[in-house]
Amino acid sequence: MTESRVDLDSEKMGRDLVALVLTVVELLRQLMERQAIRRVEQGGLSDAQVEEIGTTLMLLDQRMQELCDQHGVRPEDLNLDLGPLGSLLPRE
Amino acid sequence: MEREVVPWDSPEPLSGPIGVPLVDLLDRVLATGVVVSGDLVIAIADVPLVRLSLHALLSSVNERVPAPWSDGGPL
Repeated sequence: MTESRVDLDSEKMGRDLVALVLTVVELLRQLMERQAIRRVEQGGLSDAQVEEIGTTLMLLDQRMQELCDQHGVRPEDLNLDLGPLGSLLPRE
Repeated sequence: MEREVVPWDSPEPLSGPIGVPLVDLLDRVLATGVVVSGDLVIAIADVPLVRLSLHALLSSVNERVPAPWSDGGPL
C-alpha cells in the first residue's frame, strides 16, 4: 500500500518547466528593456510616452518577481549558463 | 562579483566564458538590424510535411527603419 508515496518527480518537472517559461519571458523582458532605453536615448518621444514606458517596464519587473516567488523560482535559476558563450542573462 | 572580461585578441585559445551576456549581444544585433531569410522544410522519413519560408527583418525602430504604422499603431 504505497498510495501515500509523494511523487516528487512531476512537481520537480513542473517547476523546471515553469522555470524554462519564466526564463524566456525574462529574456524578452530584459531585451525590451534595453530596446526601450535605446529608443528613449534616441529621442523623438514625448515626456508622456517616456514616462509611460518607464512605468510599464517597472510594473513588468514587479510582476516578474511576483511570478518567480509564486512558483518558488530563484532569479538566478532563470540565468542559463551557456558554457563557452558565457551566460544568457547578466550575473548580478 | 564581476567576472573579468576575456580579452579577444589574446593568441591562446578562449579560456574563460565571453564576458558579455547573450541578452546584450541580442540587443546590439537588434540595434544594428538583421535580415533572416531562408527556407525550412520539416519532413518525416524523407516526406516533406511543413514548409517555412522566411524573409524576416529584425531590427530596432529608428529613422532608418520606421514602424510601418504611425507611432502607436494598431498593435
